[in-house]
Amino acid sequence: MNFDALTIVYILEIIVGGLLVGIGVHFVPVGGAPAAMAQATGIGTGTVQLAAGSGLTGLLAAGLMMSVTDNIWPILASGAVGAMIMMDATMMTGGWIYAYAVGAPFASAKVNYDPITGYSQPPYVAPGTVGQGIPTVCFVSGTIGAFMGGLGGAMIYYPLMMTNHNPSLSALFAIGIFLVNAVLASWNIQGTIEGFHDPKFKRWPKAFRSCLVATLILALVAVTITGGA
Amino acid sequence: MTVGGGAGGAPSAIDPKKLRIYGLGGALVGIYLAAILNSVLGTDIFSILAAAGAVAAAVMGANAVRRVCGYGIGTGVPSIGMLALGMGIVGASFGLSTAEQLGVSMAGVIIALIYAMVFGYIVGAIANKVMGFNIPIMEEGLTDLSGAGAMAIIGWSYAISGSLAYADMVAKVFNTGYLAIVFICGGLAILHPFNANLGPDEKQDRTLVDGLMVGSLAVVAVGLCSLATLSTIAAIITIIVGVAAWYYFYVWYYRLVKRDAAAVVGTGLLPPSAL
Repeated sequence: MNFDALTIVYILEIIVGGLLVGIGVHFVPVGGAPAAMAQATGIGTGTVQLAAGSGLTGLLAAGLMMSVTDNIWPILASGAVGAMIMMDATMMTGGWIYAYAVGAPFASAKVNYDPITGYSQPPYVAPGTVGQGIPTVCFVSGTIGAFMGGLGGAMIYYPLMMTNHNPSLSALFAIGIFLVNAVLASWNIQGTIEGFHDPKFKRWPKAFRSCLVATLILALVAVTITGGA
Repeated sequence: MTVGGGAGGAPSAIDPKKLRIYGLGGALVGIYLAAILNSVLGTDIFSILAAAGAVAAAVMGANAVRRVCGYGIGTGVPSIGMLALGMGIVGASFGLSTAEQLGVSMAGVIIALIYAMVFGYIVGAIANKVMGFNIPIMEEGLTDLSGAGAMAIIGWSYAISGSLAYADMVAKVFNTGYLAIVFICGGLAILHPFNANLGPDEKQDRTLVDGLMVGSLAVVAVGLCSLATLSTIAAIITIIVGVAAWYYFYVWYYRLVKRDAAAVVGTGLLPPSAL
């Protein structure tokens, strides 16, 4: 294995991809178990499940594009769009359930006015809960998060593919890098976050530093792996 | 009985150091014994030994999960199991690939283990120093978890590929997609025991026996996968041993659950005066 200029570019791409995943998680409205009971704002599952779900969809989309072209831009774009579609579909169908089955009004407990629509929030937050459903700002934030996650996943997948030329190996290795960054980011937000308007969002520099160190160590070995046979 | 899951870590009857020796030692012995017996005797029926070694590693991982999550990490137990397998998959593919490039495919397991444990230690240090978890055993716990993840992936992958050569692993485990099954079943064996048993009355023996039970189910799963890659007799041995082990540990686990279950006392109906 010789470390030429191209290899360094690949390492940098993997690091940027890992950082995008780590920061992207902060945008996704993760509500965890309380949200599943409509007692907190966000999607009712954990960070890792959401990040893995959107990231894997992004990887599949990127992989499909990679099977027809080697140009990096359409690959990154289809990864990002794939992840956004997955996340938006989850939030929309989840929203239907909150609205029509649970019967909860969408409200954020972290801000008094929705930063995007300007609607007042506190009157709609049921007593004893920290908001319900997925308000507009959370939906937009989640879409941005999925964009970053999918872009990051594709950005990890592309250099791996270019070095080992084995789609399944690259995909599984990318999932490994993806999960490490998603879990570090979810530890940083302590499980739940509403989106970029949440006070917890200000913690992102910690995740940035953590993901930088972790992805650097992973990227250095990632480019040495061969496709086998 | 003392309260598990509170601050200060979960109480344990079996020392973590002893479990680490059993787990890593069991995994290394299992995988190497399987590799040596298979190549010397020119067969693949000993692949079950590697799967058994992976179960030992997964139980060590389950113990590390209960130790770390006993402090509360705020994101739920599954996240740490996925982290373990994420670190493990990187370590495993790096170790096997590097060993192949160096021309000593037998050393792959050791390289994977060392890389995974070093990386686990660094992630633990990041969690404590940068994110401020301040869990005293975080570095130790993640070192164990990462090593357990790598050993579980290599052990169960070996039970599918029947060879430690990187090219065989890639052709039979990665390209076929069976690694996804190893990934999820292995992840369950590591994360599920504490996730299912956590609470104030969590006991180490019950959690670890649950780990053995789920690990045996993973052996059955890789046995089914190996029907397509190994000789039928080797696959059937793996499946039968897995089912037998699962039944044995299931009965044991059921006994422990009954032991720890709170007593239900019949108090009768409300007296007529209260109605």
